[in-house]
Amino acid sequence: MNMTAEQEKLALELIHNSPPGSALAAAKEFGVDLTLLISTLRLSPTERARALSESSTIFDVAKQLQFTE
Amino acid sequence: MTKLEETVSVLYDSEVEFVLIGGAAMGVQGSAHLTKDIAFCYERTAKNIEPLARALQPFHPPLRGAPAGLPFQFDAKTIAAGMNFTLTTDLGDVNFLGEVSGLGAYKEVLASSEKKSIGGIDCPVLNLDGLIKAKEAAARPRDLYVLPELRGLAGLKKKTGLE
Repeated sequence: MNMTAEQEKLALELIHNSPPGSALAAAKEFGVDLTLLISTLRLSPTERARALSESSTIFDVAKQLQFTE
Repeated sequence: MTKLEETVSVLYDSEVEFVLIGGAAMGVQGSAHLTKDIAFCYERTAKNIEPLARALQPFHPPLRGAPAGLPFQFDAKTIAAGMNFTLTTDLGDVNFLGEVSGLGAYKEVLASSEKKSIGGIDCPVLNLDGLIKAKEAAARPRDLYVLPELRGLAGLKKKTGLE
């Protein structure tokens, strides 16, 4: 099931105002861009799987560039 | 491109017992990390090893990083004699692990999984608690690096009731 509008609102609130001492606050402190999670959580598992497959091409492109430089 | 949806379909159609683990499981759970390979934990029984070998055969699975010309057959005998296999196939880079650090063998990994619909298939995917345990146990720099995001994601899902 995809994220509902209500869940997205709550998620954004938690990301922007992470409770002190929470895992979200620790992730933010570590440098994780938590807003990226909103994009992924909007997707269904199938859409996430497809996005992963598509993004894996970036490694092939990077490898080719490395060999041609 | 590594074909996650197709690989899951191939294994499912061949009735292979598996759990999606590693970076691909992280991605399906909602992590924003990218990964090039797909990893599965498989059950190491003769009943499961045969269909696993048969399922991968059409996709030409040589060992990844092995010298060219090294004789290698991903068949039932080879799988039974080994444990973890990193393969480059026509489906992309695919890994099959008999055990997962911090969790154990297939049955323990399955107990830490949840079904996610991938292309209409109910695919067992390692859950966030399982992923966190596995990463904590492996404890390589690359594993420790993803832990804050996984813990944050787990907290976010718990508080919002997201699956």
